[in-house]
Amino acid sequence: MSDHGDTAKPIITRRRFLQGTAVAGFGAFLAACTGSSTSSSAASNASTGASVPVPTPPPASASAAASEAAVSATPQPSPTGPLKFANWPAYIDLTGSAAEAEEYKAGSSPTIEQFKKKYAIDVDYEEKIEDNKTFYATIQPQLQGGAATGWDLIVVTDWLAAKIISKGWAEKLDQNNVPNAKTNVRDALRNQTWDPGNDYHYPWQSGMTGIGYNKNVLKSANIPEPKSLKDLWAIQGNRLSFLTESRDTFGLGLLKLGKSADPAQTTSDDLQAVHDDIKPVVDKGLIFADNSYLKNFASKKTWAAMVWSGDLASSGTEGDTFVVPEEGAMIWTDNMLIPKGATNKYTAELMINFVYDPKVAAQIENYVYYVCPVNGAEAILKDLNKKEPLDQYHLDLLFPPEDVIAKTHNFQFLPEDVEQTLDQLYLDLTGG
Amino acid sequence: MTSPSIALTPARRPSSIRRWLVAAAPYILLAPGLLWLFYFFIWPAVQMFLMSISTGNLDDGFRVTGTTKAYEAALTKFGPQWLNSLVYAGLATLFDLAIGFPVAYAIAFRGGRYKNLLLFLVIAPFFTSFLIRTISWQILLGDEGPVLGFLKHTVPVLSSDTSVLYSPIAVVAGLTYNFLPFMILPLYVALERIDGRLIEAAHDLYASSWAAFRRVTFPLALPGVFAGTILTFIPAMGDYVNAELLGSPKTRMIGNVIQGRFLQLNDYPTASALSFVLMAAILLAVLVYARALGTEDLTG
Repeated sequence: MSDHGDTAKPIITRRRFLQGTAVAGFGAFLAACTGSSTSSSAASNASTGASVPVPTPPPASASAAASEAAVSATPQPSPTGPLKFANWPAYIDLTGSAAEAEEYKAGSSPTIEQFKKKYAIDVDYEEKIEDNKTFYATIQPQLQGGAATGWDLIVVTDWLAAKIISKGWAEKLDQNNVPNAKTNVRDALRNQTWDPGNDYHYPWQSGMTGIGYNKNVLKSANIPEPKSLKDLWAIQGNRLSFLTESRDTFGLGLLKLGKSADPAQTTSDDLQAVHDDIKPVVDKGLIFADNSYLKNFASKKTWAAMVWSGDLASSGTEGDTFVVPEEGAMIWTDNMLIPKGATNKYTAELMINFVYDPKVAAQIENYVYYVCPVNGAEAILKDLNKKEPLDQYHLDLLFPPEDVIAKTHNFQFLPEDVEQTLDQLYLDLTGG
Repeated sequence: MTSPSIALTPARRPSSIRRWLVAAAPYILLAPGLLWLFYFFIWPAVQMFLMSISTGNLDDGFRVTGTTKAYEAALTKFGPQWLNSLVYAGLATLFDLAIGFPVAYAIAFRGGRYKNLLLFLVIAPFFTSFLIRTISWQILLGDEGPVLGFLKHTVPVLSSDTSVLYSPIAVVAGLTYNFLPFMILPLYVALERIDGRLIEAAHDLYASSWAAFRRVTFPLALPGVFAGTILTFIPAMGDYVNAELLGSPKTRMIGNVIQGRFLQLNDYPTASALSFVLMAAILLAVLVYARALGTEDLTG
């Protein structure tokens, strides 16, 4: 993973480094395993209307009550471990620079190390989630059968988080154990219809899906920088990549056609229209990528792509740019939740609480450049970068201004039949 | 075997147990293998077959209904992908044979004391993970990578916008590379067994080098050719990693379809039906091929 490290390191700062190379290599590696994608989607702001068939949490069941009772019966539970924490690749402060400096073990990070030290507990942090669907397929049978998944804490995108919660497959959080999260979570992320009161989840990061390109590469190819989705579609197909996360690709496709990317209004016909609009691009050589797009940017194979907002900022390549398309962008949140039957539930709650400490949150944001869900992290983050202040471009990624938020759409919670159509159409586009 | 009169005589008893043991020995020795086959091949295959005639979805579960819809879909909907699989795997097998035969020949007949070292070198790259090796081909075949970069700039025989990655060429190249040892090793074994005196005898009978090769060496190497092509073609036919990493949506193979149905659509019935059809197709192809090549000693 750190094979490109030596050349990249001297030029770029610690925080810019790594993710690019590490993610590229690792993302491709993961893509290989799954054929699919990465992080995405979801989240939620106010745009989720009431008419959307968002799953709702189950009524408190006997077992949930029992586990709560168990917690309250032990007023001061002690942390148990090792905490099994599954997350997406390069989604925490780390990854390569920590490993490279040999300060921390590979697969660890400053945040994880601090947590281990503070609670004297081991953490098994694994970058095991490269695609919501694929990951879900690995835990669904256990959850369905009432067995433990082997994970204590997982990070999944809105639609999947809602699905798991609605099936009663998430442990109810003891809010007394997560005071930081309760206080610091951003208002826009509270009171989700699928989990009002954050009984089962807290957000890990949010992000946007828009257009990414490398300025210098486009310049040398004599292509104007795409400002809109129409511009993006106009670039020659074999120099483009769209996303394997089908909600992102089709969501932007809807916006490109001037349709609303509102799950409550989207019909199968709309999706078919998007499919028919993308198909000619596929015939010209379009590929679908997860964050392996970073590698293709680096090799100049790809000139422009649909990308997730934080990735290009942390790629460390000069000229990599993320823009919110004129037509709008997708917004989503990845959420932490504790799968039913987790052996170290209390420790998982401690972890949720820990990363909602604004200081820790700022430390993570300083690497990942996604939208921070934690109030109070902004000031600390600016403080961390006093010597070399973050420019407006990066600040806008971390804390998007109002006018940007207004252009974002949440295309996460689809009615069952629309979701099925989407899956079929996506698979048809990708040749599967 | 055990007659009752013998069993009744106490003095003979130990010997009857021994005889029984001797008779049962093959089955006892086979038991681990049979159990293994049962649990990890037959049982899953039966499950997969039942799944292929089921209806349902991941959330509510699947129920066996005896429907053949999955088979209809498997046979009618994926023409381009079936064709891609056949063509790419076939080409990769041919290229492997063309590359592998001279290599195996050289090692077997000219390797001398370096034989083992050379064989080791054939396998050495394969100590690295399959995925890592395939991903490396993305770099090798990149637009500005060592191959295209050289052909575009150093020896400018290609125009600067030539692109190989994500094309069928890249997929076939990846398949050829990844399955090459499966071709070389059986060929080596077959060639190594050839008695050098047979070739000498051919020369003594005024055969030219080419004639000796064509009429003596190659026919004797046929079992190796058969084994090599089978070992290359079958996994290449079902492979999806090369098409996924080195190809585009237009170069998907049947393995990609199966993977997509299993992991993305969670359409287990169609995926199972596709797997069964693939198995049947390969079996049929192998039988036809064995007949054509006439290697009875291999197929029994």
